[in-house]
Amino acid sequence: MSDLNRLLVPQRQAPLGVAILFVQNLRRAINIFLAVVVVNLGRDFSILGLNYWDWGYIIALIFLVFSYFQYRRFFFYVQEENFIIEKGVFKQEKLSVPFARIQSVNTRQNVVQRLLNLVGLKVDTAGSIQQEIVISALSKAYAKELQEFLMEQKYAMASTEGAEEIQLEEAEQRLNASEKSKPLLSIDFPMLLKVGLTQNHLRSGLLLFALVNGYVWQYEDYLLKPLEPYLEETAESLLTSWVLLLPVVFLVFAIISVISSLTVTILTFFNFKFYLEEKGLEIESGLLARNTYHLPYSKIQYFVWATNPLQRILKFRTLKVKQAGAEALNEKKLIGVPGLQARGLLKILDRQYPDRKQYAYVKRKPHVLKRNQYFFWFGLLPILSITGLFIYNQMSWWFYLPLSIWPTAVFFWAHAYWQAFQLRYNQDYLEIRRGYFFPKTILIPAYKIQNLSLSQSILQKDRGIASIRFHTAAGAVRAAHLDMRSMRELYDLLLQRVESSTEKWM
Amino acid sequence: MNFENPTVNIEEIPRLADRDFEPLEEDYLYFRISGRSLFYLFAAGIGSLFSLFGKVYFWYWLGPILSLWALSLIFEFVGFKYRGYCLRQMDVSYRSGWLFHTMTTIPLNRVQHCEYSQGPIGRLFDLAQVKVFTAGGTSSDLSIKGLRKEQAIRLRDQITQLSSTYE
Repeated sequence: MSDLNRLLVPQRQAPLGVAILFVQNLRRAINIFLAVVVVNLGRDFSILGLNYWDWGYIIALIFLVFSYFQYRRFFFYVQEENFIIEKGVFKQEKLSVPFARIQSVNTRQNVVQRLLNLVGLKVDTAGSIQQEIVISALSKAYAKELQEFLMEQKYAMASTEGAEEIQLEEAEQRLNASEKSKPLLSIDFPMLLKVGLTQNHLRSGLLLFALVNGYVWQYEDYLLKPLEPYLEETAESLLTSWVLLLPVVFLVFAIISVISSLTVTILTFFNFKFYLEEKGLEIESGLLARNTYHLPYSKIQYFVWATNPLQRILKFRTLKVKQAGAEALNEKKLIGVPGLQARGLLKILDRQYPDRKQYAYVKRKPHVLKRNQYFFWFGLLPILSITGLFIYNQMSWWFYLPLSIWPTAVFFWAHAYWQAFQLRYNQDYLEIRRGYFFPKTILIPAYKIQNLSLSQSILQKDRGIASIRFHTAAGAVRAAHLDMRSMRELYDLLLQRVESSTEKWM
Repeated sequence: MNFENPTVNIEEIPRLADRDFEPLEEDYLYFRISGRSLFYLFAAGIGSLFSLFGKVYFWYWLGPILSLWALSLIFEFVGFKYRGYCLRQMDVSYRSGWLFHTMTTIPLNRVQHCEYSQGPIGRLFDLAQVKVFTAGGTSSDLSIKGLRKEQAIRLRDQITQLSSTYE
C-alpha cells in the first residue's frame, strides 16, 4: 500500500510507457499513411530529395519525440474523492472521475504491453466515450494495486451512503477476500474449440466479407487492376460454368467463415476464467491481448443468454452481462461468458438473483398480429415486388414457380417465432424469451427499470393490444402486441416496484 | 441486503388513469399547426419556382401539398386531445398520439437531471418545454412540450425537488 500514498501527488506512467505510446501513435500513423504508401508503391518517390525510407525515419523520429512529451505530460493522481488524469501535449486536458462514479476498473494487455511486461488500466464510467480514462503503461504489480485501490474507494463511497450494516458486511468480506476464489468457469482448449465451432458462422463470414470488401474497394486500383486482363478473359468461361462453380464458392465461404470465427474465438477467449468474487464478476481472457474485467454486482443492469442451433446440440449458451452506459458504448464493452452450461448459468443466477423464484410468474403471449405482420413484411412484400418485376419483364410462367417457396418458409418461421415469444413476470422480475432459431432470454430485475413506455397503434387498438418498452441504464427492451389490460396492470405494478425500491440500481 | 419482500396486491397499487393527465396549453396546437403550415408553405414555394421558371403544371404539386396539409391539420386537431402530462408524487408521465398513441413514465427516483428550454418560435407563442433525463441515454427520455413559461419552470423545479429527495 505504500506505493499508493504517492497517489496524492501527480504520478507518471512507467518509463517504458514511452514505447507503448510510440507504438500506439505509429499504428495510427500507419493507418493514415498506408494509402499514400500503397499509391506510390513501386514508383520513384521523392520529396525535397528524400526518398521513402528517409521520410519514414523522419516521421518516426517526430513521433518518438511526440510520444516522449506525451509521456512527460501524462499524470494521474487522487484529489479528495476524485481520480484525476492530466494529459495533452499541445493542450492540457484534465479528466476527473469521482470515486462514486466509477463503474468498473479493467486491465488489458496487448502484444506490445505483454512484451514489455506492462499493463494498461481502463476506468469505466457511465459517461460518454470522451470521458474514458485509460492509462496505457503501468507495471503489473502497480496496476493490480491501483485497480484494487480504486475499486475499494468506490465501494467505500457506496457504503458511506448506506447503513452501518454494510460496513459490517464488508469487514466480513475482507476476511473472506484474502483467499482467491476458484474460477466458476474456465475454458480449456478442447472446450475453446467447441465454442469456436459453434459460433454463428454465417455472421462471422459476412463480417469478414464486409471487412475484406471494404479494404479491396479502398485500394481497388492497385489490387484489382493488375488482375483485370485475367479476370476479363476468364469471366466468360466462368459464367458458363457458374452452376458448377456455385457450390465451390459456397464451400469456400463456409470454410473461411468457420476458420474466421474459430480464430476470433481463440484470440478473445483463450484461457478464459470467470470468477464470482464477493463484490463482483471478474473475467480474464485473451491470447495476444489479455484483458481482465471487474464488474461490481450492483452495476449489472440485466442478463441476456442466447444460443443457436449448433450450440443447442452441445447444450451451450452465451451469457451477456449488460452494464450501464450509452447504448452504442454498451456494445463495445459488453461482457460475456461463452460456452455456458445449464449448471453454470444457474449458479450465476442464484448468486445474482437468489429470490427470483419467490413469486409465481405470470405468462403473456403476443397476439397473432405479430405473426401476420412478420409474414407480411418478410414473406409477402418481397415476393409481391419480385412478382411485379417479373410481370413487367414478361417472364415465362416457370419463373414464378420457385417464388412460392419463400412465403411458405417465412410463414413457418413467423409462426414459430410468434409461438416462441413470451413475456413472464412476477413482482420483482421480468423475463422475455424470443427467437426460434436463435432463442434468447432476457432477465431484468424490476427495480433496474428507469423509464417505461406503452404504445398502441390504430391496428392494435381494435384488437385491444399494446406494445410495452422497458428502458434500463443499459438500453431498452421491447415486447409487442400484448393484451392491453394486462400491460396497463404490469405498467402500474412496475412503477410501484421501482418507486418503492430503495436499492441502488446503478 | 434486505430480503423482506411482501406480496404486492395488484388491487392496492396506485393506477395511472387517463383522467390523471392534464391537457397542454391550447396555444401549443396553434404552434404545431403553424409549424406544419410553414413547412408546406416552404414546399409550395419550391414547387412554384418549378412552375414559374420550368414547365411543371401547377396542380401537379399543389394538389398533393394541399391534401397533405389538410391531412396534417386533421391529425393535429384530433391528436391534440390525446396529448397531456401528469406529475404524481413519485413519477412523471407524458402521452401523445392519435393513430400511434404512446405513454411514457419516468419514476422520479430514476431521474438524473431535468431541463427547461424555450425555442425562438416557442417564445412567440409564450411556450416552453421541460426535458427529463435518465442515466445511460444521450437524448432526453421524456419531453413535455406546450407549457407556459412559468408553468414549465415550476414543473422543472418540482421534478428536480422531488427527485432530489431520493439521492
